[in-house]
Amino acid sequence: MREPVINFKHISMQFPGVLANDDISLDIMPGEVFALIGENGAGKSTLMNILYGIQTPTSGEVWIKGRRVEEFDPRNVIEQGVGMVHQHFMLVPSFTVAQNIVMSKEPRKHRIFFDNAAAEAAVRKLEEDYGLTVPESVPVEDISVGMQQRVEILKALYRGAEILILDEPTAVLTPQETEELFGVIRGIVREKHMTVIIITHKLDEVMAISDRVGVMRKGKLVGIHETRDVNQQMLASLMVGRPVLFDELERTGEPGEPALTVEQLRVLDHRGLVAVRDLSLELRAGEILGIAAIEGNGQSELIEAITGLMPVQSGRITILGKDVTGQDPGEIREAGLAHVPEDRLATGLSGAATVAENLLVGKQREARFNRWGFHQNQAAVRAYAEEVYGRYDIRGAGVEALAGDMSGGNMQKVVIAREFSFDSPVLIISQPTRGVDVGAIEFIHSRIMEKRNQGAAILLSSADLDEVFRLSDRIITLYEGRITGCFRASEITKEEIGLYMTGSRQQGGKEA
Amino acid sequence: MSKKINTKYLISLMVSIFLAFAVGAVILLCTGHSPLTAYGAMAEGAFSSLRHVGDVLEYAMVLAICGLACDLGSRVGIFNVGGEGQLLIGAIVAAQIGVSLDGTTAWLVIPLAALGAIVSAGLYAMIPGVLKVKLKVNEVITTIMLNTVAASLCQFMAKGPWKSANKTMVSATENLNVRYWFDGLIPGSNLSTAIFAAAIIAFLVWYIMQKTTQGFEMKLTGQNPRFARFSGMRIDRKIIVCMVISGAMCGMVGMFRVYGSEHLFKPSVSNDYYFEGLMVAMIARYQPLATILLSIFFAVLKVGAEGLQQVGVPNQIYLIIQTVVIFFMAAQSGFLECLSVRLQKRKAAGANAPGGPEAEEKGGAEA
Repeated sequence: MREPVINFKHISMQFPGVLANDDISLDIMPGEVFALIGENGAGKSTLMNILYGIQTPTSGEVWIKGRRVEEFDPRNVIEQGVGMVHQHFMLVPSFTVAQNIVMSKEPRKHRIFFDNAAAEAAVRKLEEDYGLTVPESVPVEDISVGMQQRVEILKALYRGAEILILDEPTAVLTPQETEELFGVIRGIVREKHMTVIIITHKLDEVMAISDRVGVMRKGKLVGIHETRDVNQQMLASLMVGRPVLFDELERTGEPGEPALTVEQLRVLDHRGLVAVRDLSLELRAGEILGIAAIEGNGQSELIEAITGLMPVQSGRITILGKDVTGQDPGEIREAGLAHVPEDRLATGLSGAATVAENLLVGKQREARFNRWGFHQNQAAVRAYAEEVYGRYDIRGAGVEALAGDMSGGNMQKVVIAREFSFDSPVLIISQPTRGVDVGAIEFIHSRIMEKRNQGAAILLSSADLDEVFRLSDRIITLYEGRITGCFRASEITKEEIGLYMTGSRQQGGKEA
Repeated sequence: MSKKINTKYLISLMVSIFLAFAVGAVILLCTGHSPLTAYGAMAEGAFSSLRHVGDVLEYAMVLAICGLACDLGSRVGIFNVGGEGQLLIGAIVAAQIGVSLDGTTAWLVIPLAALGAIVSAGLYAMIPGVLKVKLKVNEVITTIMLNTVAASLCQFMAKGPWKSANKTMVSATENLNVRYWFDGLIPGSNLSTAIFAAAIIAFLVWYIMQKTTQGFEMKLTGQNPRFARFSGMRIDRKIIVCMVISGAMCGMVGMFRVYGSEHLFKPSVSNDYYFEGLMVAMIARYQPLATILLSIFFAVLKVGAEGLQQVGVPNQIYLIIQTVVIFFMAAQSGFLECLSVRLQKRKAAGANAPGGPEAEEKGGAEA
């Protein structure tokens, strides 16, 4: 057996109040693709930040290619041949691709001046070596997200990386781009004998790309397996620490009457550009209509216009037959709509208010909370909040704690608990499980399906395609503010739908 | 569900006050005065006679209502810096109503004067409120500017159309008829029955902010306006209404000053009293109860400062102490954070020193 290229020896990392890494020992072998999975806060990123030299472990050692890391400093680690592509790209938007790639090791003319020609030549050579093509002279702000990721990878390679860390690389990619990325990874591993560590929480990707997989839970490394020996179900259970059922969600009843209609809707975004172009759709009671779109293709504006947060340029919106175009969010809610917004902290709750207060919002004027029409009945508020807190399995420091101090998953449960409590016939749900743990995802999904089965009309927008497929009855694809396709969820594959999301394919009708 | 003032805040407040007095003592020493004598004279100035206690209470009332007016605005996320102008407008309108209705029964004049103060000052405060909501004009700028407008307008009225016949007064309205004066509670002091009205106002404001559904909605509007709008609240209307009430409260203070102590309008019915009330509110973190308590504290300082003069200390020392308290209060949140971070670091360092496994076990349990 060959020598490992990286060894972690008894790594522990103590943050105030949290032991983020707890005595982790792990060997990474040369030429393998190692997937590191775990829930949010399991300590994956901390471990990788230690490897990349961003953080110094409280105790333990890291060895790279048989040499102990003395000083935890990215510069030091980069020299040893480690490269990292962060989840949020670290690129200068106005610089060209080539300039971004050579940054920090720029070729110079006369030792002083930046040599652009040499930079582009160096990048071209790199492209040939690794079979990765990029438009060298185009500014980074003008290329797609998938292409930007390539630039990040090339940047690491240019600095001589032999070990590549990818932090949630597919979070922003379409299925096609993901496939391409995996092709690139396979290529560099097979032909250049590189080692790749990929952090993710998408289990199908683990199965598709990795040779071995390590599972982290609550700071501990709870298992290392050959990927061929495991399946998704086993990995999910390991991550959460209990069996997770990835069963089909039970779907009962047939779609009923139209509950929400949108006709020829046009919406401008914050910069005054057209974000939603004459879009029409119809949502029926008892169905989930999923929106599949890459971020920034009008889905946010569409939802904000329907819910009254953004002005409507033209077109018509009705809820249960009532015209609500241009009304304010309060009136639209009264017409029968509830909304789980995409950004819970900015829109979905008040972090400075208590959990109980956040659960109350929207009901504060009901007689049971409002003695004599003005005096807030705080005992009733508390009792109500306690009940919901328990029913939605919210975990935190109780209903009197500040909502802003909770974890993302629990905040999301607060928002969902509140919005679902109105029993509105129309539900608009955006990013229901963004940044939420696997266990909570399961819970939230079953709640959404329950609402559907009870006859709610649900419009679902999510960046997570798996989620859209799992929950939706029908799926529409949006590209540049237009509907490019409408499908029954059972009649299309993820790969196919990616073509509609990128606008490379289009259906005739364009109405849902 | 109202968040109570926590002990941490109380401690840091006490420490700030103590430090402020310590700095004041150093300044006194440097200027050749004995701090003990000076502070003694200050206490004497505030408490030595009933008359002084009355003045303290009257000034505390002014600060408290002004401070609460500021609290109310901040609750919906609007910073009313224009209370000074609203106060003057309320004062001159109330004064002129009393003057022009001279001879009518007090049962008519007093309510009308109060109504006049409320309506005029409320409408005046509505201007920045509407501008903020409809045109997104920053209310700090508009309210400050409107202060100047109000001061000039009142001066113009008091020098011109509404000027008193008494030639010795440069800019003042006629004196109010004695029958309209609020009864003095302590002879020789400024304290009048107005303090009862002020107490009712203070209670109502506290009650609305802390105990009612309206207050709950106001609080959410101030904390996260986008969320409040998202959940169906009419935040524009709330902001305007709070601004109007805030202005009306300042107008009432103006009326109290005129009918309770000055008995006519002149520009000095308020010497930036609203700004002092605003500072009190800020130090109290816009919490109504703390605002009221701190108003009394600052009133003691202010009235006590007159005692300082008697022992030869310029009463500017009062201003220095007040300013220093504000300095320390502003710094206190930073102080505390810095301290707690350091403490935590030290704890973490201690925990991870030689006894590795034990420390890890402990940390694991916490996590």
